[in-house]
Amino acid sequence: MRLTSRVHDRLWLFLATLGYLASAGWGLYALGSQRPLANRWTFLLIGAAFAMHTLFLHQRGEAIGHCPITNLFETLAFFSWSLVLTYLVVGPAYRMSILGAFTAPVVFLINFFALAAPIDLPSTLPHLGWPLELHATLSLLGLGVLGVAALAGVAYLIQERQLKRHVLTSWFYTLPNVGRLELVQQRVLVWGFLIFSAGAFLGFFIPHHGPDDWVKIAWSAVVWCLYAALVVVLALGRLSHKKTALLSVAGYVFILLTFWGINSLSEAHVFPHEG
Amino acid sequence: MNSMGAHVICGGLTFEGVPVELREKVAFRDAQLPDALAQMKKMLGLREAVLVSTCNRVEYFGATTQPDRAASAWPDFLRQFHAVTEDFSALSFQLRGMPCVEHLYSVASGLKSMVVGETEVLGQLKDAYDVAHTHGQTGKWLNRLFQSSFAAAKSVRTRTAITRGHVSVGSVSVELAAKIFGDLRGCRVMVLGAGETSERTARSLLRHGVPSILVANRTFDRAGAIASELGGEAVRWEEWEDRAVDVDIMISSTSAPHYVLTQEKLEALLRRRERRPLFLIDLAVPRDFEPSINLLDDVFLYDIDDLQSIAQTHLRERQTEITRSMEILKPHVERYMEWAGRQTGGSDADDLSRGLVSA
Repeated sequence: MRLTSRVHDRLWLFLATLGYLASAGWGLYALGSQRPLANRWTFLLIGAAFAMHTLFLHQRGEAIGHCPITNLFETLAFFSWSLVLTYLVVGPAYRMSILGAFTAPVVFLINFFALAAPIDLPSTLPHLGWPLELHATLSLLGLGVLGVAALAGVAYLIQERQLKRHVLTSWFYTLPNVGRLELVQQRVLVWGFLIFSAGAFLGFFIPHHGPDDWVKIAWSAVVWCLYAALVVVLALGRLSHKKTALLSVAGYVFILLTFWGINSLSEAHVFPHEG
Repeated sequence: MNSMGAHVICGGLTFEGVPVELREKVAFRDAQLPDALAQMKKMLGLREAVLVSTCNRVEYFGATTQPDRAASAWPDFLRQFHAVTEDFSALSFQLRGMPCVEHLYSVASGLKSMVVGETEVLGQLKDAYDVAHTHGQTGKWLNRLFQSSFAAAKSVRTRTAITRGHVSVGSVSVELAAKIFGDLRGCRVMVLGAGETSERTARSLLRHGVPSILVANRTFDRAGAIASELGGEAVRWEEWEDRAVDVDIMISSTSAPHYVLTQEKLEALLRRRERRPLFLIDLAVPRDFEPSINLLDDVFLYDIDDLQSIAQTHLRERQTEITRSMEILKPHVERYMEWAGRQTGGSDADDLSRGLVSA
């Protein structure tokens, strides 16, 4: 792939990242502004940034002739894209546009580190066909959906804390009621778990050469077990809403903190660099 | 003033300067309004007239070429129509031109209400205008004035926090319940004891969609009486703990000298409940619910001081929004004044803007 093409498509991601930064700033303002219409702008700003983000992935995919997850840079960009995609679906569906104020900063940070670090290295692409692309896409999409569940969990914990402490700040009026937050958080959590499970399951059917990638397999197993346990206790009604939200957030913090490192260490999930 | 022009004027009595004992003597019932409007229009020399009568204000709005006549005839009209002897001239305010427009816009926006930001007054203004309009007592001046005041009020409501936050114990409780459960139509409520505030709070919840209420009292007959008033079900005191398993909101105001619900008792109750939040409203002094209950997950406990403190905070916050609301109203007022200036060929624009204030 030509260098100019890489520079060109990175520009779209750079612009998208600026858009997410603006969305994060506006979202925080909207949370405290007490202006009922302010949240709509957060959603529109994120939508505009998402369009540029999508354009980046499209151009990169066209250029490499492959789903753009061939190096850590692309993987992070796809990961953050799936987070925004989930927000754009969940936000209007549950009248939760306010979640954009929580989504935008996370996406900005992921993209910022992806752009800043020297990780956009051209790779030689394996020819393993659709099972590999579907496995990677579903896994990353699942992580994105779990991210939105965690962000709804953060919103729940903030609202719950205000109600518990009897301190009603301007955020209290802007954030949705805890009933709706817990509903969204738990539904999205279950969907995220199912999508992630499907992606991880597909991984077993991908033909590969050489030894198994035990680092990534162990990490995926830990993440899967953590969320499986959470979904099961949720179904059994054994956990308070607060603890469910806390565990959902903690699980995602674990993913965010380890994702980069694990993908760097992982052997089968890093394609050899060109040249 | 040329023949094409007219002054928009207003005046009347409000809660700010006139006690309720006097206001009630000159309040107009809905059925009286058409006759009153016709008489007022004639006596005050108005071309157009709207009469607003609420529990907090009795005011007229008019368009006239004789504003001084209207101001002086208003107290006589009140005396004559209501057959009272009091002299209201010193108690009535009179405004014309821009101050009158600003006054109506402020009233419509709830800025001049006893409880700042309340929205009921907008409905009352709309009703008063409808009556006048239906009876042919309005024309281009007041039609435009009132319609633009409704738009201005909407703008203030959507762009400020003037209506945000409730300012009574009952409405704060409803607001909190809505922030916990969302839709109150699926909520089950239990009232323990028979306090007046708890009854009012229960009524507020009923008005906001709660389908039914359980009432438990040490005296079963008293529980029955309250339950029938609220359209709920009376529960024997010894049964309330069992029935509380299915309840989402509990309001308590018993006169018990000890905690009616301790943390230990509630933990046992929560184990029998589905995993749902529980909103506890303790209106009793001494308190009925052990304060440490609030430490339990999914339980939200508020006592009377918490609720009153929130109501006071809301009221203070609304007060701070008045300046911002006035800024929002400014362009609306200017637009009306420009339009009014155009109607009089511009010759009266300055005169209109100056206004006249007397008390």
